[in-house]
Amino acid sequence: MNKKILVVDDEEVIRKFLRIQLAKWGYEVKEAADGEQALEKLGKDDFDLLICDILMPKKNGWEVMREVRSNPSMKDIPIIVLTAKNEDVDMFNGYDCGANYYMTKPFTKDQLLYGLKLMFGKDPTNKMEIS
Amino acid sequence: MSKEDKDRDRKKVILLLRWTAIIVTSYLILFSKGRVTDLHLSHLLIFGYIFSNLLLTFLPKTWFSNPKLFYSLVIFDTGLVSFGMYLSEMMTTDFYILFFLVIIFTSLSRNFKLLVTLGGVTALLYGILLYSWGLLTSENGISYILRIPFIFIMTAFYGYIVQTFTKETQKQLAISEDKYQGLFENANDGIVILRNPQLQIVDVNREVERLTSNKKGELLQKGFSDLFVSEEDEKALGYFEEVMKQGEGRTDSLSLMRKDGVPLEVDLSAKRIDLGDESFFQLIFRDLTEQRRLEKKIRESKMNLQAIFDGIQDRLSIQTPDYKILRINKAVIQHHHANYEELIGKKCYEAYYQKSLPCERCPVSVTIKTKKPASSILKISEGDTSLRISSYPILDEKGDLRSVIEYVQDITEEQQLQKQLIRSEKLAGIGTLASGVAHEINNPLAGIIGMAEIALEEETFKNKAYLKDIISCGQRIGEIVKGLGSYSRIAKKEEQSLVDINEVLEDSLKMVRLAIKASAVEVVERFQPIEKIEANIGEIQHVFTHLITNAFQAMNSKGTLILSTRSLKDSMEVKVSDNGVGIPQKYISHIFDPFFTTRNPGEGTGLGLNIVYRIVTKYEGTIDVESEENMGTTFTIQFPKRREDS
Repeated sequence: MNKKILVVDDEEVIRKFLRIQLAKWGYEVKEAADGEQALEKLGKDDFDLLICDILMPKKNGWEVMREVRSNPSMKDIPIIVLTAKNEDVDMFNGYDCGANYYMTKPFTKDQLLYGLKLMFGKDPTNKMEIS
Repeated sequence: MSKEDKDRDRKKVILLLRWTAIIVTSYLILFSKGRVTDLHLSHLLIFGYIFSNLLLTFLPKTWFSNPKLFYSLVIFDTGLVSFGMYLSEMMTTDFYILFFLVIIFTSLSRNFKLLVTLGGVTALLYGILLYSWGLLTSENGISYILRIPFIFIMTAFYGYIVQTFTKETQKQLAISEDKYQGLFENANDGIVILRNPQLQIVDVNREVERLTSNKKGELLQKGFSDLFVSEEDEKALGYFEEVMKQGEGRTDSLSLMRKDGVPLEVDLSAKRIDLGDESFFQLIFRDLTEQRRLEKKIRESKMNLQAIFDGIQDRLSIQTPDYKILRINKAVIQHHHANYEELIGKKCYEAYYQKSLPCERCPVSVTIKTKKPASSILKISEGDTSLRISSYPILDEKGDLRSVIEYVQDITEEQQLQKQLIRSEKLAGIGTLASGVAHEINNPLAGIIGMAEIALEEETFKNKAYLKDIISCGQRIGEIVKGLGSYSRIAKKEEQSLVDINEVLEDSLKMVRLAIKASAVEVVERFQPIEKIEANIGEIQHVFTHLITNAFQAMNSKGTLILSTRSLKDSMEVKVSDNGVGIPQKYISHIFDPFFTTRNPGEGTGLGLNIVYRIVTKYEGTIDVESEENMGTTFTIQFPKRREDS
């Protein structure tokens, strides 16, 4: 069964890129446009990965991560932060809030792939193994 | 009674008594032995006598107060009367002249009582002699009897006159003595009278009592040197030897000994005074305490002024309106490598700039003309120096220009710093703007890059190189935005805490490892326990993340990275060294400059190491780099240890 990923970003074009790219790699992708939507979907469904933006309407990424990590039913879900906030201080904050990997925008396909490999322990394109 | 009345009375009395004397003498001469009819020398004498008294009548009355005239009269009258009696040839055995001579000499003693007593005794003796010789009962008996009271009257008459003189002289003496005593006692200066040559104190005035806080009685009979503090005995005696030689002398180097033991500085002048066969020294003391206090105050304020003057690090000089240097501070001496004496009195343009005319645009010239402050910035050709010269007038009470203060500041460095500041402020401004819009730029940028990458995989796109260009340009924008964002952050004052550098190194390494595929890099950690530093943890992390990333990139993901920390005497040292490609020697001195990059466009902004440099220097640290091409690079950072008191 394919791994299920929730992509949370208020930017339509980013969601679109991730939807297409992740689908190509064989993942099942669901989307949310803001923090509240994301938490709602997380509550209904089980996900294998959360790719989350920080600056979003309604609830920001920090809040989403904190709620996920404090909710017993979903606290173990891996989280990749994908944000335009590229200062070091934000990165540390991201890890503090429970991110497993912190990616800054703009990013390349390869960087995304690297993050996924770290999360799942294997390359979805089957090109290389993570040591 | 006024002096004028006295003079008139004395004239009347003298004239009256002389008339009496003339009448009695004339009678004695004219009525003896019947010589009245014949002209005789004695008759001339009577005329002379009368004439002299008439002459006296017309003399001004003040002359009668003159004792010299009076005594001349006494001698003249006595002589005349005696001579007249002798000429009457009636006293062949007469002692009359002898008695008169006694009166003359006694009158010179100026003693009234003695005169009257002597007159009485003489008259009595004469009467007894005449009686014993039986002359009183002879035919000329009446003449003899008349002579007896005459002796007494003449004596009393002179005695009276003498007494008036004596009284008056005494009175005047008393008055002048009073005056002198008043002056002496109430003088504002201390006066001491010493007997010469014993140098013994015979009199002191009240001011001396006050100055020495001794009573007069305690000072009298003491010696000269007892007046002064004992340490100055030798000096005092030396001074007085000089006074004895010269007859007078002055000194201000001696101190009076006060009763309470506190010495009192005085100005002393001494003079020898000879009175008859006695000789004295008069010493005049003036209290110098106030003068010394003022002198000290003036000296202190002078020194203060000089200290302030010298304390100013910029060049200061004071010049006359014809440019002559009156006064300079230390900065001037140091700047011109000259002595104080070499510069003072010279014209400023000659001494400072070896010119023959005042410098162009010099504000001192302006102040000399306008008497108002002036200032201008001058470029001096030597060494590209910029000077700000300001001048201020010093006016006298009339408002005329007395001198000009010239204040010279070297503003070369200041101007350079200002330029630098403007540049870095510009950069920081750009950075602030960039970080503000970073989010706005990065989101669409992520879309551009992502979508281009998806398109790249589409079979339908023929010219894939174009898409690759889009992707790399997008990444370049991303790098620039990131770099500029970091640039602005350093300018901000951020929260600081105690940062453990060893921990930061571990964290930074982990993060870089997450971001860069570098499985073939061996990392050696040589950490020694070191003190924490007070800093913003994000900034310190930025420094090491950047250096470690650089190292990984330089090694092309394979090689050895050595991270080491150690504690030195005054600082903590961190080394990040790799055995990568190294930095070409010609670039080494520029690697910390902003916007310097050896990479291809799109690979670096040239801000990275500049940011590192700025963070390290912000915490008063130093950063050095050693590198050899194809051998590797080592960055050495030192942070100062925190001071105990901070």
